[in-house]
Amino acid sequence: MPPPSTIRIIVPRRGRGRGDRVTRRTRIVIVTALAAFSPASRAGGQSSPAGASIVIVTGQQATIPIPTLMEGAAANVGNFDVADQLFLRLADLGPGLVTAGDNGFLPGLARSWTRRDSVTLAFELDPRARWHDGAPVTARDVVFTFSRAKDPDLAPRLATLLRYVASVSAETEHRVVFRFSQPYSEQLYDATFHVAPLPSHLLASLPPELVAHSDFVSKPVGSGPYRWVRSVPGQFVELTANPDFFLGKPKLDRVILRTAADAAARVNLLLGGQADAMDNIPPPQDNLRRVAAKPDLRLISVPSPTVGYLLFNQRDPRIRSRPHPILADVRVRRAITLGLDRRRIVQAVFGSHGAVPYGPVSQILWIRHRSPEPEQQDVTEARRLLAMAGWGDSDEDGTLDREGRPLALQLILPNTSAIRRQMALLVQEQLRQIGIRTEVHLLEVPVWLERRTAGDFDVDFGAVTQDPSPSGLSQSWTCTGGSNVAGYCNREVDSLMQRAVLAQGDPAEFWIAALRQMEADAPATFLYAPGYVYGVNRRFSNVAISPQSSWLLLRKWSVRTARTPQPGK
Amino acid sequence: MSGWLLRRAVQAAATFGIALTLLFVLMRAAPGDPLSRLGEDRPLSLREIEVLRARYGLDQPVVKQFGNFLEGLVRGDLGVSIEYGRPVTALLAERLPATVLLGGTVLLLNFGVGLWLGVRQAVRRGATEDRWLTALSLTGYAMPSFWLGLVLAWLVGVELRLLPAAGMQDPLLSSDAGALTRAGDVLRHLVLPAFTLSIVSIAATMRYQRTAMLEVLRLPYIVTARAKGLADREVIWRHAWRNALFPIITLFALWLPILVSGSVFVEAVFAWPGLGSLAAGAVGSRDYPLLMGASLLVAALVVVSGFLADIAYALLDPRVRLA
Repeated sequence: MPPPSTIRIIVPRRGRGRGDRVTRRTRIVIVTALAAFSPASRAGGQSSPAGASIVIVTGQQATIPIPTLMEGAAANVGNFDVADQLFLRLADLGPGLVTAGDNGFLPGLARSWTRRDSVTLAFELDPRARWHDGAPVTARDVVFTFSRAKDPDLAPRLATLLRYVASVSAETEHRVVFRFSQPYSEQLYDATFHVAPLPSHLLASLPPELVAHSDFVSKPVGSGPYRWVRSVPGQFVELTANPDFFLGKPKLDRVILRTAADAAARVNLLLGGQADAMDNIPPPQDNLRRVAAKPDLRLISVPSPTVGYLLFNQRDPRIRSRPHPILADVRVRRAITLGLDRRRIVQAVFGSHGAVPYGPVSQILWIRHRSPEPEQQDVTEARRLLAMAGWGDSDEDGTLDREGRPLALQLILPNTSAIRRQMALLVQEQLRQIGIRTEVHLLEVPVWLERRTAGDFDVDFGAVTQDPSPSGLSQSWTCTGGSNVAGYCNREVDSLMQRAVLAQGDPAEFWIAALRQMEADAPATFLYAPGYVYGVNRRFSNVAISPQSSWLLLRKWSVRTARTPQPGK
Repeated sequence: MSGWLLRRAVQAAATFGIALTLLFVLMRAAPGDPLSRLGEDRPLSLREIEVLRARYGLDQPVVKQFGNFLEGLVRGDLGVSIEYGRPVTALLAERLPATVLLGGTVLLLNFGVGLWLGVRQAVRRGATEDRWLTALSLTGYAMPSFWLGLVLAWLVGVELRLLPAAGMQDPLLSSDAGALTRAGDVLRHLVLPAFTLSIVSIAATMRYQRTAMLEVLRLPYIVTARAKGLADREVIWRHAWRNALFPIITLFALWLPILVSGSVFVEAVFAWPGLGSLAAGAVGSRDYPLLMGASLLVAALVVVSGFLADIAYALLDPRVRLA
């Protein structure tokens, strides 16, 4: 509803005397206040963005949007979103997000690349590329950046991700050569995706440990489509279009990334016209309905990197050397998976914007497109498997038991996840119907993580955010994987994953074979792979959102109708 | 008086020291590792954990960590936030103005409007106005502020679009906008959160003030004042109100810490960039340095407000000093 242009105040007539004096005074106060807050005198808050500006509301504010410094807690969406606007990568993933092989990538700072042998890639930098201060982007910048990124004391996260990059050297001013420690299919991905080059002419003279506290962090100089303007802590970050961007000046002049940690506040900012776009409108479905009901807004569903699952502990939580008394049996794990109507659960929480995954595969992993369909609910088979495992309802209390022990499981999850809270109740009810009693334990995040890491749980309702590469799967699902907290171990899966990671050709068949084996082993019930739903004002055209990173393609957006600036702007 | 003041000051300092030690110990005793949260979405490798633990001094024994904290405190250095990777003092300084603005407005409304209405009610005891104000204040007192905030943000900010639904300033405001325009912009953003928080606090103050005034108005010296022919205004504000202020001083001392503690729910609902939401986030992530910094600030103000209340009592009533 558009704001009224005039406000009429009707004050009933009262008798004379003291009361009348108060009424007059009150009337003056009301009129003054309303005049001050009326739309005509507003400075902008209610008004929508003027001209070719966009206000995006997000949950986290960028604090250190600098490649190589986004480590630990700084490795968050808020920083990545801004870094994507400020710093251009050598190349970007294509629309299919295929991370294997050398094809399908889109040129960025590098206009081309050639493979010299199975362990060597040479990149030709675009000579038109410039830093925001006008200096040219050179091979020295790439070498400098990777020397910082590969230092485990400075950037432990990146150093792990870049472990197969043996060396990076500058052959000429604009040619940089990457050598890898072994042949594998994701060399180009590793060289381009994880870190964007930094300006060595500004940073090389600074001791590495001081960069995080330098002026560069408060006013970064990048090579991307947008330049840094300012950050107002706790409120927003402002960027402006880089007029000299060598791939074409962005059509939106100004980008504001506004912060509101609370999801309800973000939705209100979008609905109230104080923001033009919002990423990941969260369930409940009512939020989506409210946005959809606004004629000036539209919803856009984008594949997300999140996947959620019920992880079964295969070790006894009390004595880790022993197998879990219930869940070590694959028949019980399979029965739980088959006993759940996962489609219904996903539909109830995400509507049409979610899917049941095949294996621990989010919607952004390219192998998803080659995966089989996940199994449907089969309660009869679930009951049969439980009976085969010796579970029956001897005391007819509705809960299965074996040798006097009920089939009861503790399900732990973090209390901050509304999605998982809602799903846990649905899971609890559906499992009750096949005779499994589930106690849902909502835990504070640090406590949940501590118990999870220590293996102190029966079933953990986890969710992870994945990079576009499937190679990250080996961290959680191989026998020696650093994040394998549930004791799942199948040497065949390990072998398949290793062959997939090191394959020189198309690794898809190995990945799919590994997923098939995992589905059969049921180390977890893979429950949901949601899409993120974005709300975007209809005045923007050429709206493109990359699943890889929310606002990566913002430079291609344009505005159909500029809004009239409000007085005071 | 100076001896009494010194004793009270020493007591306040000791209370602050004990609070500080307890906060430090309890924080570490609570379950949950500050680094575990970093691996919530993307599991960390052992190497990453080692590097981060050393970076934040978490690999040291607790006693050594406390020593380091005290040493830093003396220098005005509260350490580096684990979540934000920035000095805690800088983070607190950035968020403090927003909290003080919101808390100060709430205090002003609370003790301005609340006291005035409470006195009005007491003077008009049993009248229609008193009955209405009683009903309204009880309704306000019973209303959860987070719920009221959600309703107001939706109704006023989204449906009517009369005021901003969230935030503290319009990010599109031109950089050359004048100070008055900027102040007006902040004021518009302030209305809803301040109103939400004030409703509950005003109601409480009204009730306290009404009761205190009623007790005083019954006393013989008030009858004497009236018998002397003093004007109503003088009897109420000069003779009665001063003696009815004691419970209000206590109430004020209890409310004063809101100046720096903020309100977690209301700040969240209105995306108000204050200390409340910062501290709440620090609790959830076990960000020890930030949590200690925020707690320190609140503890200091609690102690200071108690100290100030003692002084106010002593100034208003010499019997307190003598006791």
